[in-house]
Formats: sequence, structure tokens, C-alpha cells
Amino acid sequence: MIVCVAVVGHQNNPLYIQSFTEADDALKLHHIVHCSLDVVDERVNNPKKSGPTLNETFLGLLYPTENYKVYGYLTNTKVKFILVTTDLDVRDADVRNFFRRFHAAYVDAVSNPFHVPDKKITSRTFAERVSNIVKSFGLSSAG
Amino acid sequence: MGREVSESCVDSLLTEMVSSYCNRLYANKPELAAPRIEAIGYQVGHQLSERYTMERPRFSDHLEAIKFICKDFWSELFKKQIDNLKTNHRGTFVLQDNKFRWLSHMSVDPSSENGSTVEDNSVAAGESKATQATSMHLYFPCGIIRGALSNLGIPCAVSADISNLPACSFVIRIKA
Amino acid sequence: MAPVGPRSGDAIFANVERVNAELFTLTYGAIVRQLLTDLEEVEEVNKQLDQMGYNIGIRLIDEFLAKSNVSRCVDFKETAEVIAKVGFKMFLGVTASVTNWDADGTCCSIVLEDNPLVDFVELPDTCQGLYYCNILSGVIRGALEMVSMKTEVTWAKDMLRGDDVFELQVKLLKQVPEEYPYKDDE
Repeated sequence: MIVCVAVVGHQNNPLYIQSFTEADDALKLHHIVHCSLDVVDERVNNPKKSGPTLNETFLGLLYPTENYKVYGYLTNTKVKFILVTTDLDVRDADVRNFFRRFHAAYVDAVSNPFHVPDKKITSRTFAERVSNIVKSFGLSSAG
Repeated sequence: MGREVSESCVDSLLTEMVSSYCNRLYANKPELAAPRIEAIGYQVGHQLSERYTMERPRFSDHLEAIKFICKDFWSELFKKQIDNLKTNHRGTFVLQDNKFRWLSHMSVDPSSENGSTVEDNSVAAGESKATQATSMHLYFPCGIIRGALSNLGIPCAVSADISNLPACSFVIRIKA
Repeated sequence: MAPVGPRSGDAIFANVERVNAELFTLTYGAIVRQLLTDLEEVEEVNKQLDQMGYNIGIRLIDEFLAKSNVSRCVDFKETAEVIAKVGFKMFLGVTASVTNWDADGTCCSIVLEDNPLVDFVELPDTCQGLYYCNILSGVIRGALEMVSMKTEVTWAKDMLRGDDVFELQVKLLKQVPEEYPYKDDE
């Protein structure tokens, strides 16, 4: 289950962060997202260490903690997407598919003429789309 | 294939946008109209570069990003690529479109052969009205290119050169 | 000579030069945002958008008549249908419908369920008085004026304000009789 997703701007400023747990652990999740940003920077600056192809937007598994797996994605415009899940057995294809759909939702959100670049994403449509993408995580490619 | 509209929608909108800013909102004040037209282009370029780079790996250097503008980006907008790309290898790139669509669709006074550059805001004495109008139209595509590149992490200044109509050259100077 | 029938909106749209709607949508959005910055008052922006549309409409009518093979519609009812079925399709690639005729046939609604102008758009709370698509009402008013129909076009429904469709109310104020012998040399 996905417990948290985030969009992070150029100065590592959060543009959108949403947790999907009943428990009151938002703070902990935000901390995990925050810690993952350094890993993203490191991956991008030392590309040889990362598994996926050079400069690929999908950065793969950033780091596993005891209870979570954290995945990262960096767009061509240097915006970071972070995904935190409690699933231990995650398929690469599912994560890639998640980020592809998430990216499409993000692009539409910043295409709103009233959106200000590098400012928080307040769009309700975006929040709804993200929520749907989160809910269907791992389902689409099952069949 | 995504949604489409007729090309005359875009042509009409651009013509009217320039005319609104130059003839109604800031009549006789091209120094006020120009940056606003450029800003409209900048926002569009910023948004389009986000969209058109969605499925591709990140660019590793400036040249790769500029080549993307010349090929994929230009094709999305004009169904053709930039015809000629030159660089001095010190941060200046010249992108030439031999028949720039947004100019060929406008009635440009052929007497304006002496040309002009958009960079120069002040209108030289004797410069024909048509040339001035053309220059105003070019602030929009200049803004698009600047917006697209700046969103890709490349701050720059963009100007246009129409001394060789119907060809149009866009000069990109990357800020160090 | 048997008149050539008007061409369908689909047929015309299939044959005109087309471009990505994104460019059009984003450009229009950037214009609206810039106007809001420059004019500050939402009411002023509504006016400018309408004026821009009017100027576009008086020019676009020629292309419309030429490509659609529509003879000048003398009847307001017929004209409204042609705008909805052919006009919207050939320029924006979407179809509109005409409803809500009043008893004397001088007022109707043009209803649009799909509108490329508003893809991606969400109005911020500070723009509640904005008629984002006001350029469309201007286009219709301008185009109709060139075929001798003076109209008033207002928004009855707006999806950006939570309605289920876009609805433009078109009211015929005056139909100027065509005094000019347009085709007397034929």
C-alpha cells in the first residue's frame, strides 16, 4: 500500500505532499520524504551507481527502511517525485507505471494558467487524480 | 493523437493578442507591450516543455536541450524542424527556420527588407509600420523558447532576426 | 442552378490545417492570466476578452462562409444552428447544440459540453467574477454582426463555475435588412 507521495521543487521545497494512512504518522512520512531527497541528489550526481539507464527519469528504489520502501523520479525540469510504500514485494513495472501516470497528472496541473511555477499545487483535480492513481497501484498490470 | 483545433484559431488568437497589446492596451508604447507579449510566450513555453519532455530521459547538456527544441519541440508546434542550427560553442545558438509559419501567415510588408531585430525595443526612425508589427509578433515565439529552456534549467535571452524573410532566426544566448 | 448544400462541420474540420489544441489552450490561458495582471479588475478582463473575440469574429466570418458553403442565412434560427453545428466544429473541433428558443424565435441558447479553451483550467478563488471563455461570446457577436444581425451574447452556464455545461444565451436585438446588392453582378 502506498502511504505517501510527494512532489518536490528545485530548492527541495515541497510542492505537494500527501499521506494515505489512518495512523497519525504524517510527520514521520514527511521526514522519510525529506531524507530521500539527498539520495536523489546523490543518484543524479553519481549516475554510475544507479541501476537504471543514464539520465532516466525513473530513479528506482532510493532506500529501504525497516517498514517502507522509497522510490524516486526526477523530471527533465528537475522536479522530484517521491513514493513511499509499505509493500515489501513491489514490482518494478508497477512503480514505473505509477510514476508515468503521476507525471501526466502533474503536467496537467501545472498547465493550469493560474498555477505559479515552483509554488504549491493546490488543484483539487490533481488531488483527485493522485488519489485514484494511488488506489489503483499494483492493480493495472496484474492481469 | 491528442485534441486538435483549426490552425486559424491559433493564428487569429495570436494576431488579436498582439493587436490588443499594441493598439489598445499600450498604444504607441511598444516598450510596455513587448515584455507582456514575451511573458505570455514564456508561460506557454514553460508549460509546453514540461509536457513535451514527459516521456524522455533528462538532457545531459545544453546542446542536447537545444537540439530537442529544434526537433521535437518545433515539430509539435509547426510540423517541421528547425532548418539550421549554428553555435559559437560559447553559449550562443542560432536556430533558423527557413519559412517560419507564424510569419508566412501574416501579411508582412515586403518593403521591410532592411529587417530588424526584436532585441531592439526602440523603433528606429523610418522603420516601416509593418516591420514593427512583425517584430511585435516575434516576441511571442521568443518568449516560448526562453520559457521552454528556462524550465529545462537553462536561463537565457532570446531574440529574433528577420533580415532574411521569410526565414527567421532565433538567437539564444545562454546566461553563464 | 441547384445550390450546393452546406458542408458538414466534420467534413470541413477534416480538411482544414489543424494544430495541437494544447498550444491554443495554453496560449489563451496565458493571455487571460497576463490580462489579469495588467488590468487588475476582473470586469475589465471580461471586457477585453469580449473585445478580442469580437475582432476575431468579424474577420473569421469570411473564412467560415467560404469554407462552409453556407449561403448567407437570413433566418436567425437557421443561423444559430449553423454556428453550433458547423462553426464550432470547423474551428474548435467540438459540436455545440441549440436549445431554449423563446416564443418569437429571437433568443436561444448555444450549449457546449466540451470546450478546448478550458482543458487544465481551474479558476482561483480570486477570479470568481471572471468569464474565462468570454472570447467566445465576442466571436459570435462579431461574426453575426457581419451578417447583419446585431446580438447580445451572455453566459448562462459556465463549467468553471460549477455548472454541468457551457451555455451561451444569444439574443437577436436587430436584424439589419441587407440593403447592399451583394451579388447583383451575377
